[in-house]
Amino acid sequence: MLKYILKRFAWMILTIWVIITLTFFLMHSIPGDPLDVGDSGGSAAASENLRAYYNLDQPLPVQYFSYIKNIVTLDFGPSMTSRSSTVNDMISSGFPASLQLGIASLVFSVISGVALGVLAALRHNKMIDYITMIVAVIGISIPNFIQSMLFINYIGANFDFFPVARWGTWRHVILPALALSSGPMAIIARLTRSNMLEVLTQDYIRTAKAKGLSARKIVVKHALRNALLPVVTIMGALTASVLTGSFVIERIFAIPGIGQYFVNSISNRDYPMIMATTVIYSSILVFMMFLVDIIYGIIDPRIKLHTKED
Amino acid sequence: MKKHKMKGLFFTGLLGAALLAAGCSGNDNASGEQNDGNNGNNSNDGEEKRLIINNGSEPTSLDPPIGNDEYSYSILNNVMEGLTRLEKDDPVPAPAMAEDWDVSDDGLTYTFHIREDAVWSNGDPVTAEDFEYSFKRLADPETASPAAHHSYWIAGAEAFNTGEGSEEDVQVTAVDEKTLEIVLENPVDFFPSIVAMPQLFPVHKDTAENDENWANSVDTLVTNGPFTLTEWERDEYILVEKNEDYWDAETVNLDAVEYLMVEDTNTAYQLYQNNELHVSGIPTDMMGELIESDEAAIYPRSGIEFQRFNVEEEPFHNKNIRKAFAKAINGQEIVDYIIQGNQPVMDGYIYNEFVHPAGGTYRENAGSMHEFNVDEARELLELGMEEEGYDTLPEVTLSYNTDDQHHTVAQAVQEMLQQNLGVDVKLENTEWAVFLEAQRNVELQYSRSSFLGGYNDPMNYLDNFTSGNPMNRTGWSNEEYDSLVAESLQEVDPERRFELMQQAEEVFMEEAVIVPLYFYNSTFLEKPEVVDIVRHPVGFVELKWADLQ
Repeated sequence: MLKYILKRFAWMILTIWVIITLTFFLMHSIPGDPLDVGDSGGSAAASENLRAYYNLDQPLPVQYFSYIKNIVTLDFGPSMTSRSSTVNDMISSGFPASLQLGIASLVFSVISGVALGVLAALRHNKMIDYITMIVAVIGISIPNFIQSMLFINYIGANFDFFPVARWGTWRHVILPALALSSGPMAIIARLTRSNMLEVLTQDYIRTAKAKGLSARKIVVKHALRNALLPVVTIMGALTASVLTGSFVIERIFAIPGIGQYFVNSISNRDYPMIMATTVIYSSILVFMMFLVDIIYGIIDPRIKLHTKED
Repeated sequence: MKKHKMKGLFFTGLLGAALLAAGCSGNDNASGEQNDGNNGNNSNDGEEKRLIINNGSEPTSLDPPIGNDEYSYSILNNVMEGLTRLEKDDPVPAPAMAEDWDVSDDGLTYTFHIREDAVWSNGDPVTAEDFEYSFKRLADPETASPAAHHSYWIAGAEAFNTGEGSEEDVQVTAVDEKTLEIVLENPVDFFPSIVAMPQLFPVHKDTAENDENWANSVDTLVTNGPFTLTEWERDEYILVEKNEDYWDAETVNLDAVEYLMVEDTNTAYQLYQNNELHVSGIPTDMMGELIESDEAAIYPRSGIEFQRFNVEEEPFHNKNIRKAFAKAINGQEIVDYIIQGNQPVMDGYIYNEFVHPAGGTYRENAGSMHEFNVDEARELLELGMEEEGYDTLPEVTLSYNTDDQHHTVAQAVQEMLQQNLGVDVKLENTEWAVFLEAQRNVELQYSRSSFLGGYNDPMNYLDNFTSGNPMNRTGWSNEEYDSLVAESLQEVDPERRFELMQQAEEVFMEEAVIVPLYFYNSTFLEKPEVVDIVRHPVGFVELKWADLQ
């Protein structure tokens, strides 16, 4: 087990390195100069001075190695668009908001998604099944920015309890978390439902029934546990994307998170910020996948993590 | 500001996320540390007059030579102050940190007398030395200021900035504690309005010298304006409060101003509707309907929306073909049906409302130099095609940066050229940075453009199209134009100077290097209780006189 973990960890580092390297050369190859101040009437000399300030006058390989060094020490340097702060400042002040929102919506989508999925499967082809699946289809098909606007318009503006936007108290979390979670919730509900349906026809369920176990015990202990495997599979990618914030939701609700940096850094050609967001997202993603693999083994003993060592 | 926390936070974040994802246990929100109870509640905190406006985004930097954009300067303009400040009613420089100033007969040497009661927020007096340091710092290549060119008016500053001169040669000198002497490169009589710009605000010398990051936090920021910065939550809000030590504190009516960082105009509009903002921008898709409302406030703006021809490429190397295109496009229709913000249509290149030394506005004196005229356009096209021996016009592509509104305008232009000239134009859109680079390299044949004025003089516009100017981007170069611009920079007599600039504009318009479309304006929604927010055609929002009634 330990050897497996170590090996996977080494692969993780390698994967992240490949991603970083690719991103570095790709971002330098796209046209557009982050330090062109000509549009605001700035002089050529001003652009040159800025280039020197950010070490962009160095040859590309030199820049590459200093980037790698920055990443290893987790110091991304000053942002090119917001010189009053370093990339680290910006990320560390924005990450808590994105994290809170992400966790809230993750919790909401998992709990309600699994519950709806189980309910639909147990009441297969009954009214409740149809209603659940209609809710799921709506959740997937209406983009979350439209949902956000509807929430702001009809819930936020009419009930004092829910602020229309901004951040600060737990009340501010509810509407954006709902909007952010409806998509994942729908995916989880559909996935849980179809897996539950399949699992419920398996022999071991019949065995459990024959043993005289209560319906609740069968569902929770035998059926759900197996039905959740595919859900766990998608949880890795889902968590990574939800935790790193949502550009659209954070923008609409004026939430001071890091979602904006994923998009703005690229349109601004803010190289240090592009690298930081890449490292953060890819590390979380790769780490979550690693975690998912381990959780597999715990949920389903049939999956052996250490086949070779046996 | 939290520093060095990144690493720890990063891994706790990862771990926390992992645990929660696996365990589904639920600290689902609870943002204890961020809950400062500061949100929402409007101005009626007792008798406090607190104006809440939207800044749109976090300031780039509150260090005067670094910020260089509206996000930074809308705040900085109210917490700091330069030698002069534009007057409340007209964009004319009035005494601010400088009590008054003298000009030498040749118009080259300015002596500013700094007022005795000018103090920094840390209690120190504002000195001539602070200004000398700040202006040299703006020009210093080490500062890497994107706004360094605003120092080039000062003799020796350009050479210092480009690395050809040294700091000692920059001709700004603190004669004594309160007297500042500046020698200019050219005798420009609008220099007093240049020093009102945030790029030329002073910085507290000792602070800036000792701490490179002095402008990054409330604790280290030293200011000298009508308001003082007291709270700063990144990407959430900035709170400034009235500065009782400001020399003109009795003019300042507001107790505090809260700048929110709400990027989305639709969200800002919702907050405005919900009485959580006093001032909001108008969402583009609601412009037509809201511009007529009582709460709409329209401020003229020195800035233009236009199109550039590449005069090095066919068919736009031909002047008559350029003219034909310019005359075939109806700017009024674009404003009325697409932009819908009541913008004035351009009838020349230079901003209409500059104050003319002979009285009235620049355009009243100079007269109209451009109009939409389909018949003339057709004749000119025919003439041009004959000159070039074209049977059909070479392919024309109009490029613009990706944006819904630009797209709609481009389609309208395409339609107008088809209807009025029978010319088929292709449309091409690219992402902003890609577009800008191609335009800078004069690779685009015919492209969308805009320009936002920086200072209060027609020279701000004319300078852009001198040969080799980085703003030129058309390949156009004209000796007569260049020499008229150069001559006007040397001219000491104001009326004669305006005459020369007008001649330069006539040359430019006759050459039809651009298609003029419309002048910008700034449109806002303002609650009825808000009065006297000042927004001049150049410069940034002034809250010194603003009040809540």
